[in-house]
Amino acid sequence: MKTLLHRIVLILTVILIAAAAGGAPVVATVDQVQPKVVKVYGAGGVQGMANYQSGIVISATGHVLTTFSHVLDTDYIDVVLSDGRKFSAKLLGADPRLEVAVLKIDATGLPWFDLAKATDAEAGTRILCFSNIFSVAMGDEQASVQRGTVAVRTRLEARRGVFETPYRGPVYVLDVTTNNPGAAGGALVSFRGELLGVLGKELRNSLNNTWLNYAVPISELRESVEEILAGKFVARRDAPEKKPERPLNLAALGIVLVPDMLERTPPYVDRVQPASVAAKAGMQPDDLILLCGDRLTQSCKALQAELQGLDYEDPVKLTVLRGQQLIEFTLQSVGPATSKKGQP
Amino acid sequence: MNAGRGDQSHLVRTLRERPAHGCCRTLVCGLAMGIIACLAAARQAAADDTAAEEQAAFAAAVARVAPSVVQIETVGGKEQVEGVLLGTGPTTGLIVDSDGYIISSAFNFIGKPASIVVRLPGGTRKAARLVATDHARMLVLLKIDAGRPLPTCAIAARAGMHVGQWAIAVGRTFQGDRPNMAVGVLSALDRVWGRAIQTDAAVSPNNYGGPLVDIHGRVMGVLAPLSPQAGEVAGVDLYDSGIGFAVPAEDIQRVLPRLKKGEDLQPGLAGMSIKGANQFTAPPIVAACRTNSPAAVAGIKVGDRIVELGGRAITRAIQIRDEFGRRYSGDKVSITVVRDNKETRSELQLVATLEPFQHGFLGVLPMRGDAEKGVAVRYVYPKSPAAAAGIVADDILTSLGGEPVRERGELIQAIGMFEPGSEVELGVLRGDARRTVKVTLGTIPEELPPDELPAAWQQSQASATKTTQGRGQAGTPGQQFGAMRLKIAEYDNKVWAYVPAGYDPARAYGVVVWLHAPGGYDWKELLARWQPLCDRHDLILVAPKSSEAARWMPEEAGLVDRLLMHVGATYHIDPARVVVHGYEGGGAMAFLTAFRNRQMIRAVAAVQATPVGAAPENDPLHRLAVYLAAGDKTLADGPIGKAAAAMRRMKIPVTTKSLGQGTRYLNADELSQLARWIDMLDRI
Repeated sequence: MKTLLHRIVLILTVILIAAAAGGAPVVATVDQVQPKVVKVYGAGGVQGMANYQSGIVISATGHVLTTFSHVLDTDYIDVVLSDGRKFSAKLLGADPRLEVAVLKIDATGLPWFDLAKATDAEAGTRILCFSNIFSVAMGDEQASVQRGTVAVRTRLEARRGVFETPYRGPVYVLDVTTNNPGAAGGALVSFRGELLGVLGKELRNSLNNTWLNYAVPISELRESVEEILAGKFVARRDAPEKKPERPLNLAALGIVLVPDMLERTPPYVDRVQPASVAAKAGMQPDDLILLCGDRLTQSCKALQAELQGLDYEDPVKLTVLRGQQLIEFTLQSVGPATSKKGQP
Repeated sequence: MNAGRGDQSHLVRTLRERPAHGCCRTLVCGLAMGIIACLAAARQAAADDTAAEEQAAFAAAVARVAPSVVQIETVGGKEQVEGVLLGTGPTTGLIVDSDGYIISSAFNFIGKPASIVVRLPGGTRKAARLVATDHARMLVLLKIDAGRPLPTCAIAARAGMHVGQWAIAVGRTFQGDRPNMAVGVLSALDRVWGRAIQTDAAVSPNNYGGPLVDIHGRVMGVLAPLSPQAGEVAGVDLYDSGIGFAVPAEDIQRVLPRLKKGEDLQPGLAGMSIKGANQFTAPPIVAACRTNSPAAVAGIKVGDRIVELGGRAITRAIQIRDEFGRRYSGDKVSITVVRDNKETRSELQLVATLEPFQHGFLGVLPMRGDAEKGVAVRYVYPKSPAAAAGIVADDILTSLGGEPVRERGELIQAIGMFEPGSEVELGVLRGDARRTVKVTLGTIPEELPPDELPAAWQQSQASATKTTQGRGQAGTPGQQFGAMRLKIAEYDNKVWAYVPAGYDPARAYGVVVWLHAPGGYDWKELLARWQPLCDRHDLILVAPKSSEAARWMPEEAGLVDRLLMHVGATYHIDPARVVVHGYEGGGAMAFLTAFRNRQMIRAVAAVQATPVGAAPENDPLHRLAVYLAAGDKTLADGPIGKAAAAMRRMKIPVTTKSLGQGTRYLNADELSQLARWIDMLDRI
């Protein structure tokens, strides 16, 4: 609870600073953006799961772009416009891979964001975020505005388990604490009011145990949203991870690692089998295998997992630390003698 | 080198000039409506320009340092330190020397990784070694062999920094080859004992070790989690809170030669303490000075008023902390003191560790009544310095070093300030005969108490107060006697207490806080055990129940503090005999509570419990004594024995009581013995 309070105080501070630092363009932008931001209510409200989030109007006729989340997991979704008008919403469609959904409400003549006019931003772009964080705004109260900067445009680390989201594409990381309950689906805009992205969910970075504040660029969502609007959306699946038929392993290379005793045992070489590929290449006991290809291997398990993704006959680049030297080896398993097939 | 303010006013100026141009043009048009419209448009355009220019300036500033900001990857090491889960993700470093020296935050290495790899901008990886650690500012110096000169950054002068100027925090922890940035302003200078500057830019593991740069891309400092609290992970809980710290780049440059030589830097200690509870208002007068400490070697004496330190005029105690706080072990500091209206100037060289302080000991128990002539002797420890000097029970100690002593607490503190081996001169009154004796002080004994103790009150005195005061007539609001319930606002815990039914406001009562083992306790049983002891030894028993029956939460140490304050405000308390007593988990909690509240708690009595946390420093002003009862084996070489040895190394007296084979609580005899041990805590 303490951290929640922390965060609320922080957000309020940020809002105050934003107000103070705003100036003319920010004020004009806020006036122009607020009518296009909505509050979305749906499922949740138990076990600390919020039953609210945010959305943005993307057509004059009541199409609302929001985040695909548990909040939409109900037949009763409500959308409350910035003027306080409340509508029941229908879920038109969603792309779970991008965690994006489109809702439809029976309204016309709404101010709206034209996704076709959305632009891109780079690190350093000054931004405003509009969302209903912590459900502070009620009825005709407008979304909370936060001010910040794009910290970096990056990709979410593709390694499994780092981020709990199916999305693996580019994101804007923000330098302001935006991604709190209710923020998902909110608008990320430039100081001039150009739409840049949609605020994401709460996401923890398991690499350094921090919360990630991010938004997904509109350019990543546009195609799916247009297909949903046109009624032509077909859920895509990520190409299934290619599992090699005969995955590579350490034994095939002649490498024996130290016993794997810890959660993250550093992958030190214990022994190199005589006359093996590794021995011929010059690998030695006590070498620490740091990289497999270009991927850091922080543990025996991580190294084994990397090799699993390679085929038996693929060459593999291993970089080892020996003393203070980084040494690169490219190894290619000859395959076990017994499985040499296709002999004429 | 004149960064900061100048640059920003320049920015502001260009922004102001632009709308003025717009105005001129519209005035030529001469249309009133047009003027208004154009003015508005111009203002909008100008503001747009402001944002655009600032944005461009941020990007340019980051671009200037980016070639020197590296990514650091580690393999191996601990997964958790001080309860904080360590990440495995990449962290950031800053190249500070073209030869391949890189500064980073020590937080990134507290897991003691087996190997460190630096990824230079562009993607080249190099093996790195840790050259040295700055334990005061929580930084590390790494070295790589890049085979080519590496780019370094311009530094912003500390003198040119102003609160409110732009500050951009730069890291390199995300996927891809771009640095990440966070924009804010400088929030404060001279934070954390003068060791850091503060910013509201988002500072977190995403950029610890990276630079904090000004709008021109000059490095103002290196980002690191810092906190006035000690500990390797202190300050991490502040991440993304609007409070971020950076160690000034100038300070880093100053110590870089020492770090490059592989010297680990420690905070510098002088070994003296200052009088007064409030450091912000207290005058800078020396209250204690450790033997063999830098202060003692420099000739500083108790009572000296410090008027200058490291070239800075000193008027308040807090300035002393700041001056020493920014310095390292090995640093030399000039010091000027005033003694007897004469100024003396000397120099002291700070050290990393002080020899632990040990309280001097005379070897007597005092009577607790306020004798007019001095402090009456209740009991003389056999073979003690007092016994050797021929002091016997009923003697009255009238003076110490020629100064009259009036009161027991005063004498406890004054003798305690001397270390063992010091010779003191005591005035002794026996009957009508006055004499002066010289006593060489010893150490506080660790033995268990004798079977019998003489009364702490003279018969005549006790009966006199009894008849005049009587029970329950003191008139302090909220005073009750006998068994009772206590309630502390903000805490839901149930608390029972016992105040001797014959409470006499003229007497000072010891306090025993009982912290039960997991599962709670039965008040009737507890009262039956303690009531006779409380009555005999003038003790108040306070027994809170943990909010979760199965365990004590560390936050509940605050409840003990509050209970002690409440009891202290309601009854006449003897500050020398405030004890926290616990069994099993309650014992561990007792240590936690006592180590935190050195101001009030004088002793820990733990049964079958392992002390938690590091043994605290012994403190001249706040004595701490420890009683440990446990089974033979654990006392000998188990964790309890180890903890006892660690506390003894810190010169905290530890009395041990063997409970044989068992893992049980104290029996009736053992508990009476503990009560006598508590009775003897006002020993001098």
